This record gives sequence, C-alpha cells and structure tokens, in this order.
Amino acid sequence: MNLNAHLSELPAAEAAAFRTLVARLQAAPQREPAPQLASRILAAVASERTQRPTLNAQPITTNHKPVTSNYRLWRWAAALAAGLLAALTLFDRPAAPQPADPAADPAAWLAASQEADGAWQPARHGGDPAYRPALTALAALALARDPADRFREGVRRAAAALVAMQAADGAFGGEGRVRAYNQAIAAYALATLAPHGPATAAALERAVAFSRAGQSAEGGWDYEAGSEGNTAVTAWQVRALAAAAERGVGQANIPLRKGLRWLRGAARSEGGVAYHRGSAGRSESLSALAAYTLMTSGRSFEGLPALGRNLTAALSAADGAADCYRDYAKVMAFESAGDTARAEAVRTGMRHRRQAGAQDPWEPIGGTLYTCAFTALAARQ
Amino acid sequence: MDSVPIDQMNDADLMLRVRGHDDEAAFGLLVSRHQKPLLNFFARSGVQYDSEDLVQQTFLRLYRYRQRYVATAKFTTFLFLLARQVWIDELRRRQRRERLAESLAAEPHEEFAAPADPSAGAQGDLDLARALAALPEGLRQVVELAVYQDLPYAEVAGILGIPVGTVKSRMFNALAKLRALLEPEATAAAPHQGPAKGDRP
Repeated sequence: MNLNAHLSELPAAEAAAFRTLVARLQAAPQREPAPQLASRILAAVASERTQRPTLNAQPITTNHKPVTSNYRLWRWAAALAAGLLAALTLFDRPAAPQPADPAADPAAWLAASQEADGAWQPARHGGDPAYRPALTALAALALARDPADRFREGVRRAAAALVAMQAADGAFGGEGRVRAYNQAIAAYALATLAPHGPATAAALERAVAFSRAGQSAEGGWDYEAGSEGNTAVTAWQVRALAAAAERGVGQANIPLRKGLRWLRGAARSEGGVAYHRGSAGRSESLSALAAYTLMTSGRSFEGLPALGRNLTAALSAADGAADCYRDYAKVMAFESAGDTARAEAVRTGMRHRRQAGAQDPWEPIGGTLYTCAFTALAARQ
Repeated sequence: MDSVPIDQMNDADLMLRVRGHDDEAAFGLLVSRHQKPLLNFFARSGVQYDSEDLVQQTFLRLYRYRQRYVATAKFTTFLFLLARQVWIDELRRRQRRERLAESLAAEPHEEFAAPADPSAGAQGDLDLARALAALPEGLRQVVELAVYQDLPYAEVAGILGIPVGTVKSRMFNALAKLRALLEPEATAAAPHQGPAKGDRP
C-alpha cells in the first residue's frame, strides 16, 4: 500500500481534500545541496577508506568474494590500467603539448577559452551558467598564478568583467546559495587581481559592504541567511576582506577581524575543522582551506599563523579520490607552512588521478573550467 | 549487470558494487542521486544549519555499514533507516530536546508537539513549514517518508519500526492536523471524524 491507495479508501470528499493538501506539500520548494557537498562527502569517505576497516562486516556466502580479495584485485586492476595508460601516453604522445589541451596545460586552455568580454561561459564547458562569476574569478586567479606571467592581459580583462558583473548592491549575481558562492570567490579575485584605479576601488567598496551586510553576529558567513556561518564561505570571505584591507578599503578591517575570530573558533584541539562549528564531521578540504586562510589572511594577528600551521600538520598528503578543491587547498596550506615536500606529494597525486581519468565529483556542475582552474592554482609556481 | 552503463544502474546494483568491490564511482552516483532528498529530510526535521553535515554523516554510515546491505532490501529503505539513526544520534549528541529524541522511537505523544503559534493558527496563515513543525515527531516522519520520499507504507513501517496499520493511522492523523492548521475554516465546518484506528488517546 502507498499513500495514493490509502487515500482511495477514504470518503471521496475527504480524499480530495487530502490529495490537495499532499499536492501542496509536494510542491513546496526544496533546498538545494551546496555545490561542494558531494565532494565533501566523497572526500570524507575516501578518508574513511584509508583509515578504518568496514564496520559490522558480515560474511558473504553467495556470489561475492571476500572484500579483501576483491579490494586487492581492484587495486591491482587499477594499477594495471594506470600502467597501460602511461604506456599508451608514452607511445602515442604528440610531438609537442597541445596548447589548448586542458590536461597538458590547464592555464593555457583557460586563456584560450576566455570570452571576448573577459569572462568565461561555464555552459560551453560542461558547467552551470549560474556560477559564471565564481568560475570567471577562479579562472582569472589561475591565470594570474602562471609562473611565466603569460596571461597578464587575460587577467586584466577578467577583472574588468567581474566589475561589469557586479550589481549596485555589491553582489556578483545568482540567487540564494549560488549568490553566496559567487560573492565570496568573485570578491576575493577582484581584491587580488583588479588593477588600481577609481573603478576598482568603488567596486571593492561595494563588494565589502555586501559582505559586511551578510556577516553573522558570530562573524561567519553561510549560504543561508540566519546561520552563524560555515567554514567554506567564511574562509573565502575572510580572504577577500584581507585582500581588500591590504588595498586600503578601511571598512574591511572590522569584518575581517570578526571573520578570523570565527575561523579560530572553528578549529579543534585535535587539528581539524568541520563544515559548521561544533558539528561532528571533519572536512579535510576545509581544514586545509582554513589553515591556509589563517596563515595568510591572519598573518598579522597573534596566534593565527601558528594555529594554521597546527591544522596543516594534521593534514594528509595522500588521498584516494579526485577532488581538485581539496588538493588546491592542501597545496596552498603546505606551501604556506613551508612544507614543500607534502605540497609536491599532493600535486603528484593530482597528476596520477588525472592520468587515470578520475572525475572530480564537482565537475558535472563546474565543468572543465572548475577542474582546470583548481589544477592550475595548485600547480608549482 | 556490467552490460548496463554504470550511470544507468539502479540503486540496488550500485550499492552491491559498493559492497562487493568498494566501487568509488558507484558510491559517487549514489551520493549524487540521494544527497538532495536526504538534505531536505533533515531540513524538514527542523535542522536549520547542520543538515549538510548530517547528510555527510549518513553517507559515511552507509559506507561503513555497506556489508549489511542485502539485495532483497530496497536501497531507499536502507538509506533512510541510516538517516533516521543519524538524526536520533544528533539529537542525543546535542542534548537538546531529549524527550523529542525518545519520541522518535515510540508512539507519538501530543506533549512532544512543537507549540504552534496560536495567533497565526487562529488567522489561518500558518505556512507549510510551520504547520509541519507543529506536528508531533512521529506523525511528521510518516509524512516525510510517505509524502516527500514517496515510499510505500511497508517501507515506512520498516524504517520507523512500526506496523503498517500504525503508518496508516499516523498518516491520517498527520493530514487531518495539517489540514486543520492550514485550512481552519474548512475543517471547522466539517463533521468530526473521530480518531482513526490505532490512535492513542
């Protein structure tokens, strides 16, 4: 029996009234998961996979072989596949890297994919157009990190595009969760990349005013109004405010201090950070992002760089599943802590996973722009 | 089974791949398909800000307990059973509303109902969220699973650990209470239906 059959048993008038009510309930708007939720879950599971055995395992007596045997077989097959792929790569390698090949040179691919207006169009590259501001910001940050400084003009055009996207209230577009995601990353890129001048200064003032208005009483930011904050949005907002403060935007200083205080409160004694303060889960990605933010944006504040280094020390350099966001945050944290060996280990893991064709969990939404941007941001400078 | 592309496999087959082969891609697909229903399950349970953490905990628990999954069990039943356990643990962990946590494992009691705003109720302007929040927890979970997750009553009964007849009576009571909150004029004029079979006094 299901609900429909149940309602059919009731008197006609009552059934009709209840059906109308059920339809109303089912039509109510639903919450959308945060863009990073799936990647956070898969990263947590990957961490679980490496740290503990299966709980409450029961013997399987039918067609399934013991897990340990299958797991070894799976690892052996993966290693064989990676070896074959590497061999094919060696024998079938083009004479020179393709400049527009996202795997060979993600920054060059990003530069080649930039639109005439200076922005990037996610829809052309498998991404969601709602995240155009954030993906434009990430792509621009990736170009700016190029060690050979090949893309200076592209960065300038991207910064101008971000200014053009900004609304009068300081926001960069989107609604609800999309808006919060776009705002935090676009504001950071603008504060980091935009050339000095009155137009940039005015845009930064507006962006900081928008951020201030959205800050919770506790000092954090979240996708939803009314929350005290989550680590992901707060870290990006803090980075944006610190960059704005360095450029002389005075109104950034107070929310910056409050945001850093929020991040400090998110760190736990055992060396981890969760998505929300006080919640049970631990996020490797957000621990790395918070650590990097504390060491850089909080470098002028007593105790914060040391706290960031402690968080970094608790990070692992070996991960199983693909996750560009996590890897980027780890590389930045390890580099900021002076641990170049572990930063390089993370890069090696990224490279191996890319060569093995592992798909980033967020790629179905962010598209190639997303993975290329974070891959380029994590590259060695 | 392997002749079907992995993204077209049903949940049970994906879960068997996770169970048997620790298949990351299969697990990723299950996350992709079920993160939103789980998120809304927790959000409608009254979790305002930690619902994504609870979704993560549920999937972690799904992974830890993957060997307990058997092919005869419907995947959603297994998943929401775990989600409900996560929800109960969360209530206990926070040591908030302890009596409410107890009510999740027992028959509904009126005293566990969140108080509705009397002035709003009198004016008939309670919105859906507030009306749902005003339901006793036992009734609200039946609505969540049968209305929002569209599960058959047998599965709802399995998840909540109650007989199918109790699912029916709770559903009837829940809809009647929601209707009274959302359409007070209509229900005031309607004849009294009396308690459904299996109702508590």
